[in-house]
Amino acid sequence: MSLLVAVDQVDKVFSLADGGEYIALKGIDLTIKTGEFVSFIGHSGCGKSTLLNMIAGLSLPSSGVLTLEGKKITEPGPDRMVVFQNYSLLPWRSVRENIALAVKSVFGDRPRGEQRAIVQEHINLVGLQHAADKMPDQLSGGMKQRVAIARALAIRPKLLLLDEPFGALDALTRGNLQTQLMRICDENNVTAVMVTHDVDEAVLLSDRIVMLTNGPGAEIGNILDVDIPRPRQRMEVVEHPSYYSLRSEIIYFLNQQKRIKKRRALKTAVVARHGLEKVNLDIGFVPLTACAPVAIAKEKGFFAKHGLDEVNLMRETSWRGIVDGIAGGYLDAAQMPSGMPLWFSLGGHKNIPLPVVSALTMTRNGNAITLARRFYDQGVHSLDAFREMLRRTPETQHRMGMVHPSSMHNLLLRYWLAAGGIDPDHDLALQTIPPAQMVVDLKGNSIDGFCVGEPWNLRAAMDEVGFTIATDREIYDGHPGKVLGVREDWATAYPNTHIALTKALLDACRYCADPENELEIRQILSRRTYLGTAIEYIHLGNPTTKVCTLDKPMREYAHHLFFGNGANRPSRTEHLWHMAQLARWGDVPFPRNWLEILERIVRVDVYSTAARELGLLDAKFTRGSIHLFDGTDFDAEDPIGYLNSLTIKRDITIAEVLLDAPVAAMAA
Amino acid sequence: MVTQAPSRMQPRSHPVLASIQQFWQKRGPDLIPPLIGIAVFLTVWQLVSWSGMTRLPGPLSLWTDTRTRELLLYPFYDLGGLDKGLFWQTLASLGRVAQGYTAAAVVGIAVGVLVGTSPWLNKATYPIFQFLRMVAPLAWVPIALVALQQNQPAAIFVIFITAVWPILINTIEGVRQIPEDYDNVAKVLQLSRKDYYFNILFPSALPYIFTGLRIAIGLAWLAIIAAEIVMSGIVGIGFFIWDAYQQNYISEIILAVFYIGFVGLLLDRLIAFLQMKIAPLRK
Repeated sequence: MSLLVAVDQVDKVFSLADGGEYIALKGIDLTIKTGEFVSFIGHSGCGKSTLLNMIAGLSLPSSGVLTLEGKKITEPGPDRMVVFQNYSLLPWRSVRENIALAVKSVFGDRPRGEQRAIVQEHINLVGLQHAADKMPDQLSGGMKQRVAIARALAIRPKLLLLDEPFGALDALTRGNLQTQLMRICDENNVTAVMVTHDVDEAVLLSDRIVMLTNGPGAEIGNILDVDIPRPRQRMEVVEHPSYYSLRSEIIYFLNQQKRIKKRRALKTAVVARHGLEKVNLDIGFVPLTACAPVAIAKEKGFFAKHGLDEVNLMRETSWRGIVDGIAGGYLDAAQMPSGMPLWFSLGGHKNIPLPVVSALTMTRNGNAITLARRFYDQGVHSLDAFREMLRRTPETQHRMGMVHPSSMHNLLLRYWLAAGGIDPDHDLALQTIPPAQMVVDLKGNSIDGFCVGEPWNLRAAMDEVGFTIATDREIYDGHPGKVLGVREDWATAYPNTHIALTKALLDACRYCADPENELEIRQILSRRTYLGTAIEYIHLGNPTTKVCTLDKPMREYAHHLFFGNGANRPSRTEHLWHMAQLARWGDVPFPRNWLEILERIVRVDVYSTAARELGLLDAKFTRGSIHLFDGTDFDAEDPIGYLNSLTIKRDITIAEVLLDAPVAAMAA
Repeated sequence: MVTQAPSRMQPRSHPVLASIQQFWQKRGPDLIPPLIGIAVFLTVWQLVSWSGMTRLPGPLSLWTDTRTRELLLYPFYDLGGLDKGLFWQTLASLGRVAQGYTAAAVVGIAVGVLVGTSPWLNKATYPIFQFLRMVAPLAWVPIALVALQQNQPAAIFVIFITAVWPILINTIEGVRQIPEDYDNVAKVLQLSRKDYYFNILFPSALPYIFTGLRIAIGLAWLAIIAAEIVMSGIVGIGFFIWDAYQQNYISEIILAVFYIGFVGLLLDRLIAFLQMKIAPLRK
């Protein structure tokens, strides 16, 4: 497929009536290949129609260049025919005359008979033979849009531009027209660009979906490839494994944009009080049993006790939300998977190193690996049996879910698979799926298993859709689960707040670890504001309840460790293990200056101050080397030597990772 | 019972009566109020004139006054010179209106399209047009007489200058209000100038142009009366009124006023009919 349209560093600035300027689009880069169907999606006013109009030539960019087949677009022309949202049929001309006008203006040099034949062919194409001589005001909206499409296609444009073509139609008509448009595009190999705000329409019709951020200064937020094969049928598309992940990706993006907009509108000022630099905090969490310390700190008043009396908990359904919140600077702090601070700092997010520090490990353990129930029935009860099963069925693409590349689940799962001689990228495919989605996907057979935090392993087992094949206690007992993460610039700007936050959460961890509070915590977690799931699925410690008999197919419940015995102290050795594993799987380079980075990221000083002020004196504790289930001991002596000794790994890059000198965040 | 049967049959045996009855049943509610209104108006007028409160004769004078009755009964007489029936008087005025109005339509639409398509020209001419539009028809009469020296062309000029503004301004507006979508279609299709004018511009601006034409026909008819009253010695309904006034034939004036009102109504309906035929309203 050859390149048809290129959009290169295009900006669009409108001058306003009051003499000001509105930057609608900024730095747009995009290429469209021949035969491709590309959609632009975004909120109203994000400039998606402006971009389409610039490709049409109806509006010119303020800077940058748009080209069609290498030639600069300077004016509109019939090679880029537009289908407008409100059809734009000439009301004084019949259906046939409307199409004929376009045909005459483009193919005017051809004989009359041939022109007439072209008109008739396209009337037939959209199935309007019976209405060919009617006036537009005698037609329904759907029929008018069919005329507009016929008019556009009749002049054989190189590129078909559709501006919310079905936006004004009822659902049934829209569906029919989408099907017809898809058929016409497939049969005639039409290259098309469509502006839409209908997520399903975008997924159904497009090869690629361009998602635009909110204006002013809208940019391309992300481009999704739709890997659903053509020709597509509406019903089959819905059942394709990619459909829901694409759909949720777009919806996530749109929701995120909406929140950023709200956030911009609010712009809350920093509230300083009680000798703390900032007491109004937005703290992100993902609904998991492991969010207990955050929830308890809020519900039982530990935040307020330590002076943070305006804490807002932001419930994110996926780790993506946490990543965007921290990167976008609209979360003050967040519950993070243990590898995420390093992942951020080493440039895991968009290849830009963003120093994020951790001063507290909030939970340990609480994770497990679940496989679909059918494997249990086939006798796959162990890692070795799983490997043999994979070897036996190389033609089947097996998929497993994990929640984020930087999460312990991903690292544990990969470690476990690799230790059993399974290459996690070649022998199967790992997919990033939000925790709450896992059991649903397992039920729907779109994944074969997953590694996730509780309550989802237990839930899969209790619902009899999966079974726990390994728990983290077997693989790496006492591993860090969730940590407190804040941006380094934030920590530098609000050092006392950072200590107060650590204290509040450490206090909450201690509360969570007391067996007397267990029922209360489970009740709090089961509320809609937190997990929103039945209390039977939520367990904290060692459950001896009737629900969890621990017979096969369920294994020992992966209970959480919230407090005690140095559990909360951030450990450089553990973070180094994460660093090595992230580098092993190619997510980030291994930093040659790893010692320096660990010094900056792992804030033992903040933890120690917080613990001392709470009267907890376990600072003498050291963990030493890490013991793993395959008999390996990991220590902080020679990480590069360790990486070289591994057999299953990706290409590892070792590089100097230069972090900017620590600067305080602008006190907004 | 037996005697009633034929009376029931009665309406059926007289189809003409039946259809009149049907007509009244259908249109009566629409026709009766205006008829009553007109009757009350004429009665009050007649009573006022009988009471001697005013010298203005009542409507009955159209019949009781011999001179007027003759004019009423013989609209087609022609004794040469200015002594003609009201039909000929009206026709002469209509002829002048037709000439002035046609010129106004041609100039108004042509200039309107030109100005409407050029934002610069529009800005340049806007104050002039708005200013000239405000000048009353009567004020043009002396100017026209001085400029053209003769009654006949001066009268036509006054018609023209009165009627041209609404046509011009509405055409400009119509051209400026062409929906951007139609313009975009034209741009994308790269329509030739001719195709653009005939397929986009005129059809789209036509409703506005017709609004202008309808306002203009009313104004033109008003202006002819004013013009003829001032210009002496020509055949025309306006001068007829002036002449009657000079000779104190008041009931003749009333008759002429009825003619003027009726013709004005007809002209307006005529343009409305043309609009319906040429440019029916479309969504």
